[in-house]
Amino acid sequence: MSGYPAYLLTRLGQFALVVFIGINIAFIVTHATPIDPVEQSIAAATQFGSTSPEAIGLMRQSLKELYGLEGGLGDQYLAFWRRIAVGDFGPSLSAFPTPVATLIGRALPWTAGLLVVSTVLTWLLGNLLGGLAGYYRRNRALRFAGVLAMAFHPIPYYVVAFVLLIVFGYLWPVLPLGGGYQMNMPRTLSWAFIGSVLLHSILPVLSLALVGLGGWFMGMRSLVSNIVTEDYVVYAELAGVRRRRILGSYVMRNALVPQVTGLAMSLGAIFNGAIITEQVFGYPGIGTLLVSAVYAGDYSLVLGITTVSIVAVSLAVLVIDLAYPLLDARVRVH
Amino acid sequence: MRAWRGMALSLLAMCLIVDARAQGTISNLPRKETLIVENPEGTIKNAGWFNIWAINAGGQSTGLHQLGMDTFWYIDPQKGIDGVWDNSLASDKPIYNADFTEMTVKLRKGIFWSDGVEFTADDVVYTIQTHMKTNGLRWSAPVQINVAEVTAPDANTVVFKLKKPNSRFHALFTVRWNAMWMMPKHIFEKAGDPLKFAFDPPVTLGAYTLNAYDPNGKWFIWQKRPDWQRTSVARFGEPGPKYVAYIDPGPPDKRVIAQLNHELDVIHDISPEGMFTIAKQAKSSHGWFKGFPYAHPDPTLPAVVFNHQLELFKNRDVRWALALLIDIKAVSMASYRGAATISAIGVPPTGSAPEVYHAPLEGWLAAFTIDTGKQKIKPYDPTIGSQIADMLRPSMKDQIPSAADEIAKSFGRGWWKPNPQAAAELLERAGFSKRGDKWFAPDGKPFAIKLMVEGEGRPVMTRAGSMIAQQWRQFGIDAATVVAQGNMVDRRQAGDYEAMITWSVETWGGHPDLSFFLDSWHSQFVAAPGKPQPPRNWQRWSSAELDKIIEQIRQTAFDDPKGLELGRDYVKLAVREMPTIPLMSYNVFTVMDDTYWTGYPNADGAPYTDPVPNWANTKYMMVKLKPRQ
Repeated sequence: MSGYPAYLLTRLGQFALVVFIGINIAFIVTHATPIDPVEQSIAAATQFGSTSPEAIGLMRQSLKELYGLEGGLGDQYLAFWRRIAVGDFGPSLSAFPTPVATLIGRALPWTAGLLVVSTVLTWLLGNLLGGLAGYYRRNRALRFAGVLAMAFHPIPYYVVAFVLLIVFGYLWPVLPLGGGYQMNMPRTLSWAFIGSVLLHSILPVLSLALVGLGGWFMGMRSLVSNIVTEDYVVYAELAGVRRRRILGSYVMRNALVPQVTGLAMSLGAIFNGAIITEQVFGYPGIGTLLVSAVYAGDYSLVLGITTVSIVAVSLAVLVIDLAYPLLDARVRVH
Repeated sequence: MRAWRGMALSLLAMCLIVDARAQGTISNLPRKETLIVENPEGTIKNAGWFNIWAINAGGQSTGLHQLGMDTFWYIDPQKGIDGVWDNSLASDKPIYNADFTEMTVKLRKGIFWSDGVEFTADDVVYTIQTHMKTNGLRWSAPVQINVAEVTAPDANTVVFKLKKPNSRFHALFTVRWNAMWMMPKHIFEKAGDPLKFAFDPPVTLGAYTLNAYDPNGKWFIWQKRPDWQRTSVARFGEPGPKYVAYIDPGPPDKRVIAQLNHELDVIHDISPEGMFTIAKQAKSSHGWFKGFPYAHPDPTLPAVVFNHQLELFKNRDVRWALALLIDIKAVSMASYRGAATISAIGVPPTGSAPEVYHAPLEGWLAAFTIDTGKQKIKPYDPTIGSQIADMLRPSMKDQIPSAADEIAKSFGRGWWKPNPQAAAELLERAGFSKRGDKWFAPDGKPFAIKLMVEGEGRPVMTRAGSMIAQQWRQFGIDAATVVAQGNMVDRRQAGDYEAMITWSVETWGGHPDLSFFLDSWHSQFVAAPGKPQPPRNWQRWSSAELDKIIEQIRQTAFDDPKGLELGRDYVKLAVREMPTIPLMSYNVFTVMDDTYWTGYPNADGAPYTDPVPNWANTKYMMVKLKPRQ
């Protein structure tokens, strides 16, 4: 077998191997954590109220049985893969007995919605402006845009997010401080609900866009700056091809190839969630879920989220790898 | 350029067209009838789980245990709405037999579940029997260890036969933050496995029932029951708010903004700096104290907790030397920016404790003497609280009280005078030596202490730890803080620390009985090194003298005045032995906004309960709140 089918099979094999190794590393890391979910549950149950020391031992034993932590690491490893094979991550240990898949399913749509929109928007704007700035290097407005994009880029995200909150949530309070939608609004496919979701997403999206724009902008501008010196671009200009066409068909199209890879990686990584965004804006999502799972020693939930993330990132890379030979004529598969 | 301009214009247009403020904080509910409260649990990952009897499965202080649950008795951390003790579902105090092997509970009549079914002794018996036969419920272990049999001679009487004498068995059903709540038999008996039943929607005994919740766990809204008269709290009047929303308002800075916008009526806790900002900018907001130090002193006592299973801290002289190196004024300023209520003794200075323990022991403390071998010192300085007030007066001006009793209430009374000379003498007697400017342990190694702190999760206590480590370091001890962050719970329980800032003393607050924490300090519960230590004797201190006090308390009835004497004996022993170095009460900066509601509890004229809203005791706050508009 040769050519594209062989390439396809090789890449699929690599994909499976990466996912397998990634999940195994995640299993080892989560089980090496010094945080014990049973002790966390005991602490939560006894933190404020009356505590009988005699009862704690009995409670500890009951919880170990309940959470299925009595066997050795090997037993837990085999049980984990048996469940993974049927797409089941088991029950969450910090929200027992609710299945991990249920918790992820509740949070994931919010994360996906927020991050897909903000990532795609930022990517489009950053590349468009970066491409224009790289090509029309003397345009003052584009140079100013570049200064702005680069100015926001190094500012810590937390600072940008809080400045936006203070400006639009307090000084000029036109946008909600947090949440995914207005409190107590029925979650139906109504205009009111959709409008509320959009309204609540403005600040999180804006904060992500402001900080993320610079990276795409600078990357694209530098790619375009290199490409404009290529012979075929110079030749096209000498041949009198319209500048707009040169930019769109000759420069941007070629410069976009690595940016598309970056986009795919970013889209794959959205399954990690946007932890700080969710914390600052009180936005529902998988990042907050992950943080709380880590602190609770809930390795079922941590493993569930990391497995989804590993598969998503690997899948994104796979899709890009498979698409490259089809999209870019310069890539040849032997 | 066009794209850039377009983006700016779009943003502006969106802001102008859709005014969030016009949309309001809550949809479909009148703001004037809704109390909005912070739930410090944050986002509840398993929002649709209301089975509070399953451990750690869902939220607790989402309003569920404050407004939906009920049990026999409540002890208030402050003065109480009608005294410290309240018979809630019970109509009387617990009735024990002579040897504390049987407890009888008389139930209040006319109490109904929110679905209209009457609450009876059958519900109590069902709750207990379910815990007896099911492992892994929140209160299974204490029930299984204590209860031999539970019976209901009639619809309003329950009799517990205990496996062994227990004069504090009623504590299981007495709310101090929470307690064992009653289950609705008619719901749970049809639900199957009680560990796997979500209890959504919950059927409540409290004056409120669940109205709505966010599946992503950001908010929970409770609605006053139309039949609130058929609940235990109705004895004190009608609850004011028709709706109560418990929300996750986000990080401390956002809580401040939300309250300044009047979108959050009660903040659970913020940093001292956040409190000062609100105090300056919001006329309608106030804390527990009208002015400085604002915060509510919880009946919890942060302290320097030593690991007594380490050779280094087995000697009382070493522990006392370390206490004499601490300048509590600097610790107060570093941790709470001065807004701390200090305590030299092992009882938090709040609720009834100042009257029962701190004030009566002032004379004893003033006379308390330490013989270093080279000199005798009286380490107690009764003026430290006043000195803190004096330090703060230039900046906080008339917010600082001047009357001695007000200063004592706000800042505490005395503490130990820093005395490096006496500390050095005590260390030398313990076999330590100083070479150059460094101290060395008896085994010749440098005297080093790693002081564990929680980190950014508890910044105030972390700052206290940093200041104490710095003071020890200045004396020549190689002291440094270690940030445990998320490992604090595991390391504390495993004894994997040298010294730490935490608390092993928590009291009822309003009631002076100390068994709430002290019983767990009996040496019978001290775990072997490396094994998990049950709460709360984290210091793993064993003392035959303390054991005797605890055993006497066990044989003394809860309200027997003899218990107070035994409590003071514990305090004196703890001063002599210094098993932990008590610092201050855990001050909680609960901030209440009067824009929509008035009648919140406060120290100055209405100390009827603790305002800290995650306490189940705050159900009493609801009947005192009145709409402002």
